[in-house]
Amino acid sequence: MVRRHLLLPLLVLALLAVALGACAQQQQAAAPEVVTQVVERTVEVTKVVEREVPVEVTKVVEVPAERTEVRLSGWTASPEEENLLRSLLYECAVQRPDILVKYEPIPSDYWAKIKTMIGSGTEPDFYYMDIFQFPFFAEEGVLQPLDDYMAEAGVSRDEFIDTLIDAFTWNGQTYGIPKDFNTLALFYNKDLFDQAGVEYPTNDWTWEDLRAAAQAITEATGVAGFSVPADPGRFPIFVFQNGGQIMNEDFSDTLLDSPEVIEAAAFYTGAREEGWAIIPQDVGVGWQGEAFGKGDVAMVLEGGWMVPYLSAQFPDRNYSAVHPPAGPKGEGNLVFTVAYSVSVNSENPQAAFDAIACITSEENQLKVLESGFALPSRKALQDADYLTENEVARTIFTGAEFATPFMWGVQGETVNNAITQALERVYLEGMSVEDSFKQAAEEVRAALQE
Amino acid sequence: MTRVSARTLQEWITAYTFLLPVLLGWGIFVFLAMLMSLYFSFTTFNLLKPPQWLGVDNYLRVVRHPDFFRYAVPNTLKYVAVVVPVQTVLSLIFAFALDQKLRARDFFRTAFYLPSVTSSVVIGIIFVWLFAPQGVINQLLGLEINWLNNTKTSLPTIMIVNIWSTTGTLMLIFLAGLQDIPGELYEAAAIDGASRLQMFRYVTVPLLRPVIFFVVTLGIIGTFQVFDQIYIMTKGGPLKSTMTWVYLIYFWGWQEVRPDMGRASAAAFLLAVTIFVVTMVQRRFIEGSEE
Repeated sequence: MVRRHLLLPLLVLALLAVALGACAQQQQAAAPEVVTQVVERTVEVTKVVEREVPVEVTKVVEVPAERTEVRLSGWTASPEEENLLRSLLYECAVQRPDILVKYEPIPSDYWAKIKTMIGSGTEPDFYYMDIFQFPFFAEEGVLQPLDDYMAEAGVSRDEFIDTLIDAFTWNGQTYGIPKDFNTLALFYNKDLFDQAGVEYPTNDWTWEDLRAAAQAITEATGVAGFSVPADPGRFPIFVFQNGGQIMNEDFSDTLLDSPEVIEAAAFYTGAREEGWAIIPQDVGVGWQGEAFGKGDVAMVLEGGWMVPYLSAQFPDRNYSAVHPPAGPKGEGNLVFTVAYSVSVNSENPQAAFDAIACITSEENQLKVLESGFALPSRKALQDADYLTENEVARTIFTGAEFATPFMWGVQGETVNNAITQALERVYLEGMSVEDSFKQAAEEVRAALQE
Repeated sequence: MTRVSARTLQEWITAYTFLLPVLLGWGIFVFLAMLMSLYFSFTTFNLLKPPQWLGVDNYLRVVRHPDFFRYAVPNTLKYVAVVVPVQTVLSLIFAFALDQKLRARDFFRTAFYLPSVTSSVVIGIIFVWLFAPQGVINQLLGLEINWLNNTKTSLPTIMIVNIWSTTGTLMLIFLAGLQDIPGELYEAAAIDGASRLQMFRYVTVPLLRPVIFFVVTLGIIGTFQVFDQIYIMTKGGPLKSTMTWVYLIYFWGWQEVRPDMGRASAAAFLLAVTIFVVTMVQRRFIEGSEE
């Protein structure tokens, strides 16, 4: 009797032990197999690359006996972009056979995941760093300064577009090598302009030109000329064009109640009140890019992501893009950029930096450009054929010249929400622009002072 | 004696061996996590740096934050006050109706339960389309309301979605409860000349009291924690009209560039205490009326 009673739990325990043992064995066995795994993967990737960019497929490389392994993480915007990165990693595995990059994509909740990983000391050696999040990581000192590595490898800051490399600079030190970027451009629907008999926008348009053209189109076609969403990723460029800023220089105070911001907001929200602009919700969509694709608005300020979106969803849309119109104080734009940053806890910062230097080399950045997914961060590529032939890409690339990085400090989301709600109060509740932005500034200040 | 206790010991060993996997998982991922977040609620913690002891300040920072008493608490209470009674009554009525010998009863049971097995993300996206300005709802009703971008209609719209998606589950619980009511009671009531409605009022409802308590409790816990539909459909907007308690916790803990885990954990514990108190009061209320 006794034995039978003990038998079952013992059996369960034994099964558990076997299962755990199997896991342990798998882990132990995995280490020497890593190399073959990587080779299998790279074969897949070369197939994908062959279709788009012709590359030499067979490369015989002597793999050193000892390779330094570094881990890389990033979010995955689309399978195509992931394939692009994998093909760059393949190139770099050939160019730097002594470094083995283990790519560990994080498909969702990237920032929550990466922050938790840092907290528990398990973050990858290098990872994607968005400019909006950068101030927090820099302030907490979890990133490795890269200037010494750059000097040793002969990589100069001057090779990168100033706005981008400056954005990832903190207290005079470089904490990220920009990988790509986007700016805003004025996308316009050529058919609606033709229909209304209005001349296409140009790079030297002003606010007044925008108003005149949008009014003419609204009158002639019944379709709204422009779109003014309550969006903290769009409205601020009007502030910059009016000589203002969202935050002060060290992000310790907000300028949302400054006259420059209030004037810009009066023009922006006034466009809807005067009837020549809509917000996306007016035409039943959440995003103005969709309204543009559907032909419900003639002009929108959007970024390079519009190109793949429109060709997939609205392939018949006949459009082009120019720089955003200039305001009373000249040009202004927002730049959205992502860099590779090295963790301060990395055991192999040199290998991580070498991998970054390879991925962001001029040769490899040209592949990024030609893929059409993103604009590369290197100045030297401004004369690349792809840009001279492609007006929209050229517009967005050159837009970086007068652009301000999309970052409002360590409480950036609070600032974003304050901007959104300041505009919503005007749109939905009819509050005056001045009162609404004063309230927004108070909200931001309350958060900053805590 | 020794024999019996040896046997008991073996039974314990057997039982706990079987329970071990669950106990381990629950202990680590639920109980330990709860203890950790209780600890975090007394610290300054931004994820990147180890927590620094702070004391009760986070609790004060929660209640003093303008969003907490101005938006999160009233919106959550409104939500609970509407959704719990409506979904309880509706699901009871559905369960009673589908307990009768109806034609195509199984079809209706499945149809009403279907929303409950559908992912809340999918439901959220579908309802965003349905409630769009040019969506089906407006066309059916001949209205031109921008349901989700209007501060007056956004919260009620979320309420409708949630009632629609949870009523099926609650109906299932009521159906199970109805099976336990002996048929003789209805027969006796019928002999006494009770109508269908009277049977429902004087036989079904009193006998279902424990089930009703269970359903209301589940409802209260669930509605206080409303999050996913709001995350998908409105992100707390427009103008914080759908900013709820849990959404505020999410914003502080995960959405801000510099996470404020201390304050988020404190708000989470205040919520747990609130739910506990409300459930206790509600139990008094339901059990008290029985006597």
